[in-house]
Amino acid sequence: MARETTALSRRDVLKASGAAGAAGLTGLAGCAGGGGDSEYPALGNYPVEGDEVVFGFNVPQSGSYSQEGADELRGYNLAVEHLNNGGGWVDNWDGLSGDGVLGKTVTSVEGDTATDPDTARQSAQRMINRDNAIMVTGGSSSGVAIAVQGLCQEEKVLFQCCITHSNDTTGSECVRYSFREMFNAYMTGQALAPVLAEEYGEDLNFYQLYADYSWGQTQQASMEQFFTDVANWSQIESVPTPLGTSDYSSYLSDVPRDEADVLVLNHYGLDAANSLPQAIEAGLDQDMEIVVPLYNRLMAEAASGSIDGIFGTADWNWQLEDDASQSFVEVYRAEHDRAPSYGARIAYTQTLQYAAAAERAETFYPPEVIRELEGHEYSGAGLGSESMRGCDHQAQRDVLVMQGASEEEQTEDKLLNIVSQTSQDDLGYACDAGPAAECELGEYGDE
Amino acid sequence: MNDEEIATDGGAVADTEEAASGGSGIARLRERDDFVVIASAAALVVFPFLLVDVLGAVGDVIGISIGGYAGLPSLVLIYGIIVIGFNLLLGYTGLLSFGHAAFFGSAAYSAALFSQVVPSPILMVIVGTIVATLLAWPIGFVSIRRSGVYFAVLTLTFGQALYFWALGPGSWLTNGDNGFSGIEAHGLFVGAVPLDTQLVPVFDSYTVMYAFAGVMMLIAVWVGNRIINSPYGLIFEALGENEERVEFVGLNVFRYKLMAFVISAVFAGVGGAMFVIHEQYIHPTTGLYWIQSGDFVIMTVLGGTGSLVGPVFGALVFEYVANVVSGVSLPMIGSIGSLWRFVLGAVFVFIVWVFPRGIYGAFSDLGARITGGGGDGNQPAATDGGESE
Repeated sequence: MARETTALSRRDVLKASGAAGAAGLTGLAGCAGGGGDSEYPALGNYPVEGDEVVFGFNVPQSGSYSQEGADELRGYNLAVEHLNNGGGWVDNWDGLSGDGVLGKTVTSVEGDTATDPDTARQSAQRMINRDNAIMVTGGSSSGVAIAVQGLCQEEKVLFQCCITHSNDTTGSECVRYSFREMFNAYMTGQALAPVLAEEYGEDLNFYQLYADYSWGQTQQASMEQFFTDVANWSQIESVPTPLGTSDYSSYLSDVPRDEADVLVLNHYGLDAANSLPQAIEAGLDQDMEIVVPLYNRLMAEAASGSIDGIFGTADWNWQLEDDASQSFVEVYRAEHDRAPSYGARIAYTQTLQYAAAAERAETFYPPEVIRELEGHEYSGAGLGSESMRGCDHQAQRDVLVMQGASEEEQTEDKLLNIVSQTSQDDLGYACDAGPAAECELGEYGDE
Repeated sequence: MNDEEIATDGGAVADTEEAASGGSGIARLRERDDFVVIASAAALVVFPFLLVDVLGAVGDVIGISIGGYAGLPSLVLIYGIIVIGFNLLLGYTGLLSFGHAAFFGSAAYSAALFSQVVPSPILMVIVGTIVATLLAWPIGFVSIRRSGVYFAVLTLTFGQALYFWALGPGSWLTNGDNGFSGIEAHGLFVGAVPLDTQLVPVFDSYTVMYAFAGVMMLIAVWVGNRIINSPYGLIFEALGENEERVEFVGLNVFRYKLMAFVISAVFAGVGGAMFVIHEQYIHPTTGLYWIQSGDFVIMTVLGGTGSLVGPVFGALVFEYVANVVSGVSLPMIGSIGSLWRFVLGAVFVFIVWVFPRGIYGAFSDLGARITGGGGDGNQPAATDGGESE
């Protein structure tokens, strides 16, 4: 819908019809709920009956992000194991007992999103309707996360975002029933611009390529904003490339070598694993600096010969020396024989976050759990003190600026070096600014 | 089981063929027409129970979750409507289109956009269908001038063009890769009956949405049955068998092919609009990507091109494997997950190899064997109705 042109916008219609929808839903849930000694009315999959509570792990097991999905799943399974039997962060976090959640054993169901929004929604639907999942988590593509969180809002089941970096997830597409631990493209811009300005100097010209979908679009917009405002650079051009492109040579040959000082490759996963080595092969690194805003392990591995000295950001890294990070790395390594990627950390954190919130709320009743999560301040998740902001459900947290390691330095686990940990005080935006200005969370479901 | 009930309509095909050629027993034809719809209706009543509750109970016993979930029966019916129409094109006329996602997706998006103004499900279906029909006309007009693989590639090209438009330049309208959400269908009868109202207590797959999809399915079956049993439908079939002969008879081949193409697009349009009402979400990958078009082909061939309702079984198996089997965790092997396409491929190869006439063909053969001589009359009729080579 053309949001800016018509008098009646999608959000207006949504709001207007919210009441009717909620009434229908509660009616439905009322039928299904039945007995139980619950103190709250049935909502979504509340109350939880029996001795088990089900979490839904909806990750890409096929498609371009399947490798990340596999590592997310390892994080999730570790979380379930620790919630039921103790260990890892469960021993240090307040409220968590190591004896299930609220006296119930945690079990899980898995699904394959295939990195496709509709497949992900069907999978989440199955978890919610058939398996009675009280919480769904997953992601690894902003398109998927946005699609699934919309469904979870309708179904009144909590969604804990895993890897999703688009500004829209907690911006224009935000919902009440979803929370994001990961940072976003806006924060990447804020963290990266000062480091690059210092490293490469001011008054430079930069040229961007970006993956033409939700994440790439917001990513390139944020890069332009902060490189222009903070570093005082000027943009030559920003060129979209279709998602899933394998040959970037025609785009790369259009880069003006004499004019451009910096080339920004806003690609992720397999796209970046293709575009970065191709840029190096074309010799662009001789004429300019290359920047990859968001690193992940898959692309660092695939492009390992080409990442020497290249800057980017990451959610978290196993080389961090704080106690929480090290204890997570240790338990993960004991099980899987290598260091976790940041996808595993987010998966692990988000599952424990939900469990801890339910413990604090002393109920699985979703609106109460949401209220516990909103504004929650915590530490012990590997990034120092963090908080989950109530107005847009975006975690306020530090961001790591990374630099590719040289080939001699690289090991199986170590592909990147941590340059700096940008403090959350230098990042983020107010509730009425940036992406948050477009966010309207919607209803708790108990109004 | 519903298989047997539907198997009887194989008999209907045979009879109507007799009627069409013999010119006698028009009253009987009428009777048979109703019979197909009534048999389908009976199957639709038990279908969610079998898929969700019975399979769910079986799953509980064997310890593997193989049951369907509440939204699945409606989804199967929606794809069923589409492939009934697709089969009119592929199974009868013999035209293989690889661009039907264009009609599915454009109907879905127009219904979604229309819902922002008037959130009425029935009007959404009408608007979506009109848009799909209007789009099918020019695409068909251009594509049908070529045959075989050129036709398939032309339709594919149009579909892909729309996909890339929706993802990139058209994202102001379609919301691009973020997907179009916030679709509100207010319920039937001016919002008086919300679509998620439960019709039968305890059995939560019987919703108003399911009933709505069921009624649309029955209309689709009825319309499809009318078409293939009409003289017009006979020409479609003749086109599939030998185009030149039809031309020699003096009929305008191009016009009939175009009509078959447009009619199948109407079904795809109805399905697209229904999909958006059901899912309240649409994304370019689901709506317009060529894999969606390919899935229609797979469902149709899997179910069996030789009969009207055969492809619906293909839709059922496809959606079941995609959405239920993909979530199954087996004791030794572990989670099926990403292997679901492999499972589907294996099922597809098996069916096409062992039962060239698809799942429906297998059932009707089985039915014929059980009833002994009774089935003999059906078999040749069903065969010559369907073979698309």
